[in-house]
Amino acid sequence: MNYYQDGVSRRTFLKTTSVFGGGIVAAGMPLSSAIWAAEGKVLTAASTNDISKMDPQFYTAVSEVSVMECLYSKLTRFKPGSEWGWELEAAEKLEQVDPTHIRFRLKKGIKFTGDYGELTAGDVKFSFERGIKHKSPVKDNWGSLDHVEIEDDYTGVIVLKTPFMPLFNIAFPYAVGHIVSEDAVMKATKDGGDFGMNPPSFSGPYVLAEYKPNQHLLLTRNPDWAGSKPGFDEIRVVLIGDTKTAERAYQAGDIDFTGITLDSLAKFKSNPPADTKIEEHPSLNYHWIGMNVDHPKLKDINVRKAIQWAINVPQILEAAFAGQAEVATGTIPPGLLGHRDKALVPPEGDLAKAKEFLEKAGVSELNLTIDCLNESLFSTIAQTVQAQLSQIGITVEINAQDAGSFWTLGMESEGDRWKDMQLTVMWFSNLPDPYYATSSFLQSRVGVWNWERFRSERFDELSAKGATMSDPNERAKVYQEMQDLMEESGAYRFLTHGGNPVMYRTTHTQAVTRPDGYPLYVDFKAV
Amino acid sequence: MWLYFAKRTILAVAIIAIAVTLLFLMIMAVPGDPAVVMLGPRATLEMKEQLHQQMGLDKPLVVQIGTFFGGLLRGDLGFDVFSRRPVADIVFEQLPYTIELILVSILWAVVIAVPLGCFSAMRRNTLVDHVVGVVTVATIAIPSFVMAVYAVLIFAVSLRWLPAIGVGNGFWDGLTYLVLPAFAIGIGWVGYISRLVRASMLEILGENHVRTARSFGISEWRIVARYALPLAILPTVTILGIGVAWLLSSAVFIEVVFARPGIGALIVNAVNTRNYPVVMGVVLVSTVIIVTATTLSDLVNAFLDPRTREKL
Repeated sequence: MNYYQDGVSRRTFLKTTSVFGGGIVAAGMPLSSAIWAAEGKVLTAASTNDISKMDPQFYTAVSEVSVMECLYSKLTRFKPGSEWGWELEAAEKLEQVDPTHIRFRLKKGIKFTGDYGELTAGDVKFSFERGIKHKSPVKDNWGSLDHVEIEDDYTGVIVLKTPFMPLFNIAFPYAVGHIVSEDAVMKATKDGGDFGMNPPSFSGPYVLAEYKPNQHLLLTRNPDWAGSKPGFDEIRVVLIGDTKTAERAYQAGDIDFTGITLDSLAKFKSNPPADTKIEEHPSLNYHWIGMNVDHPKLKDINVRKAIQWAINVPQILEAAFAGQAEVATGTIPPGLLGHRDKALVPPEGDLAKAKEFLEKAGVSELNLTIDCLNESLFSTIAQTVQAQLSQIGITVEINAQDAGSFWTLGMESEGDRWKDMQLTVMWFSNLPDPYYATSSFLQSRVGVWNWERFRSERFDELSAKGATMSDPNERAKVYQEMQDLMEESGAYRFLTHGGNPVMYRTTHTQAVTRPDGYPLYVDFKAV
Repeated sequence: MWLYFAKRTILAVAIIAIAVTLLFLMIMAVPGDPAVVMLGPRATLEMKEQLHQQMGLDKPLVVQIGTFFGGLLRGDLGFDVFSRRPVADIVFEQLPYTIELILVSILWAVVIAVPLGCFSAMRRNTLVDHVVGVVTVATIAIPSFVMAVYAVLIFAVSLRWLPAIGVGNGFWDGLTYLVLPAFAIGIGWVGYISRLVRASMLEILGENHVRTARSFGISEWRIVARYALPLAILPTVTILGIGVAWLLSSAVFIEVVFARPGIGALIVNAVNTRNYPVVMGVVLVSTVIIVTATTLSDLVNAFLDPRTREKL
């Protein structure tokens, strides 16, 4: 048999391709990767969310903000601990002159890297106004901000169109509050717009030395930083999309700090890895069962109340959250102003009372639908509700849907599906101010994000009042009443805020987090 | 041979065009507004419209397809909606990691499986052959992601011999990071290829030219290596071409389990966030890889066995 073709033997061909294949493998190896620092104190932390923005005005996730806090300065910062609060950072002084004017005075000597000079009031003005100017998707974090007036290099006045207290809790100490260098950003972007993952200058304790998409961010000390020295010489934020993978990486010793899933929490609590501290933190998110008050089957408040009382929340948390999440009393989590100590309907509910409400409504056999995301957490919640409502004679059909389909269900702009919507398993993410935990339920949001179609003049009135009040105690009362109104409408059965448990290696670091468990890397102490 | 090459290339381009168009239509057919998923509960109408414009979703479907293919011809796959980086840059940045993973996986699997298949064929129906048969079938049956999780738990978590996540730095370090993921993907292929080689080998070993070689007193190992294996390897070459699609889908899971960069991890993230330009870019590149691999395997087969050239 002739194995030769055109002067190349099959054997030669196979040998050549093997060598070629090996060459490609070798070429694909990360030869060019930066070598991790061999010396110094190094923190390796997992980020279980992707990081795709380092521009504060265009942030997309809280995990990005945890890194931004290391790179830029801001007027104020969140206090570590279990209660939400803020303290001064780059500002020496911050005072509310009147309801629409806030004066700040900057500390002197905060430098931008790359010879962009000192951080000035002009940089504050540029940073705060550019999100609105460039129509950032998160520009609503600025509420009613109008503009910033510069008084001198270090002093300026933030001018609001209308009073807006959430600015102190959301804008200044959080993502959009980070101050960037006007000169550097203008030079890098020409129009002052989104600089994505390429920060042109830094003003925080660290600089971004390397970013490898889907791999890691490497932060090293900022040589120009004049503030207090952070605990680590280098921070490696490893991007691990799957939290279970992060848990295994922690157990293998590859990382020192990670979030953990609620499924794994009990296992880690009973059998923690060596030298590990586990901390549990309530998330800011909130989960609830919503009822469309405009649907004919749910129009009668007695039917809705029957459902509220038939739902046993601890049972749901046991089934869907591995029993590791706390019962929510409303939309505002513990530690945040406006949190209620207890809900109006007890967590366990009461089947006898539920049946009474159903009798009052004159309903004997009721068939309902419940819509949920097609993820196991939400399907489990729906199935548990289905079982619980069957105990009072309500038959529930579950419609699990893809995110794209589910999140448009109650929107009037997306068709008429909202008319058929009855029960929904809902969750919203949140920011650390009660305004954000309640503003989705205003009358103006009916058919937008208010899918329960709950309407209350009093609620709207209180929301407007709460956004402008400066007395925290009075403000708390307003938001507590608002949650009472939501619950009294029968349209909501609050479930939980979930949780953000974390674990870290105590032989390596003392971790410091916000009340919701997100890391404040700058405050981490090396052990 | 050249005519065959030309025909296969035209067919490959047509397959890629059809596959990408179908995918585009499938993505558009998914209910729900991607802008809503991307922007979340606080999105205003203005923000949604802005994103629709950025993604070109405000234009008719035909225009969207035309724009996509027009960009494709210029080598422009569009921009990532979140980072605003060119999709081509993002995909080609991640691609080498997936290719190295696939090549190393298949390389070690072939190196182990081919001799194992030959050995089984030479020891046909002996205890050794039965044991190898049971073990190899078992490896085929276990999904790669299950193998991956157990490999991490044993070799990274318990024994701490190998790293659990990442890609390492430099060539040798990178190799240690490849061991577990390549093992998880390749182990099933060891079973599959060895069974295939064994079956082909048994067929070839019964043929006349092999019997003639035996009659000349040539040693059994030499017969296998010199006269039987070059023919018995042909079905394996074909399977490897088709197998690239399976390997790519395995890589999706493996890259997530080992937190490795690569187009698998990239597409998981892009699908979750409805980042359609990235999804399209990754699928396009994957389709090109799969079609190229099958075309190459056909060409290699045609090169090795001239009879197959007549079939197209």
